[in-house]
Amino acid sequence: MRFQRSLEVWKLGKINYLEALKLQEKLVCDRKAHKIPDTLLSLQHPPTYTLGKRRTDHNLLIPVPELEKIGAELHYTQRGGDITYHGPHQAILYPIISLREIGLGARKYVEKLELTMIDLASQYGVKACAGKKCETGVWVGDRKIGAIGVRISSGITSHGLAFNIDPDLDYFKHIVPCGIADKEVTSLRRETGNIGFKAFENSGPVVIMIGGVI
Amino acid sequence: MASRLLWASRAASYLRISVSHRGFASACKYAGDDEDGKSHGGLRSKIDLKYAESHEWVKVDGNTATVGITDHAQDHLGDVVFVELPEVGATVSQGSGFGAVESVKATSDVYSPVSGNVVEVNEELNNSPGFAPHLPLPVNSSPYEKGWIMKVEVKDASELDTLKNSDDYAKFCDEEDAKH
Repeated sequence: MRFQRSLEVWKLGKINYLEALKLQEKLVCDRKAHKIPDTLLSLQHPPTYTLGKRRTDHNLLIPVPELEKIGAELHYTQRGGDITYHGPHQAILYPIISLREIGLGARKYVEKLELTMIDLASQYGVKACAGKKCETGVWVGDRKIGAIGVRISSGITSHGLAFNIDPDLDYFKHIVPCGIADKEVTSLRRETGNIGFKAFENSGPVVIMIGGVI
Repeated sequence: MASRLLWASRAASYLRISVSHRGFASACKYAGDDEDGKSHGGLRSKIDLKYAESHEWVKVDGNTATVGITDHAQDHLGDVVFVELPEVGATVSQGSGFGAVESVKATSDVYSPVSGNVVEVNEELNNSPGFAPHLPLPVNSSPYEKGWIMKVEVKDASELDTLKNSDDYAKFCDEEDAKH
């Protein structure tokens, strides 16, 4: 039986990582208490490296004191996944949704996040696909264009996906992205030759991404 | 292999449990099964388990409760690559988080079906590397046996009354799966 569900979208622009994390924690509590509907945060971060629950900091290739010099922060989180980079012109979605209410498990949810990014890439003529086993994320050939890291607490999601529109890919040189050595990172700009963030923003892709997520 | 799956499907149908068709995870693994799928009193053990709505199972033997996640849970999670185990000696309470599992870049909190003190954790899960790309942890292949997560010295056996039995849990899983 289908019933009507609502999704509230918050477009946050560029927001500091810790601020976004605190906001997500509050929203997860509120969602758990049924005070808010499913909510989707759409945003970018300033240059930020993040680690997941497994704290794989051996994949950070630059000494922590050097991070300030390159204008980046480092944060430890409770999400799944390995080390990653977030920065301007990387489109981030943090869905705060109740998987329990729709009977969805982690595997299917992550597949939907992957499909969302694959769909989005195809809107720009880029053929992307989901990673093989243990390489969760979205790839164009063997170049990674989209990353996923999720936390599920009381059946409610936080963190989510990051899709490279046109971030500064040099920042990825300071990490082993997602713990996978010998694979490149790419962006929509690199794969299309001309789609930059302005073009992306104007084309309304957030709506496409929402449709794919739930 | 085909006959083992057929047996498992029939058993699953009897217990009204959905069968996983993923290659590396056995459809229904019962206590006492050996590798050719023959049951040695296994069905009785499985029916003795109690289940939480958050998809953890518990089996009580005297004062000690063994806890793990169910076959339904491991199937919906995907390949488990990391388990955050509680500390031995820690106190757990029914319904509260006691750790987490990671699969497909998602960490999922797990909740204790009983209250008490953690007396043992499954070192098999501890010894796996933080990232094991070609070896799902036994949480997937043997969720009720080798994939157990912790043992708890229980304080109040009456807590088990709030948990589901095998039939009710199977029905609950079907209802959840029907939502999407």
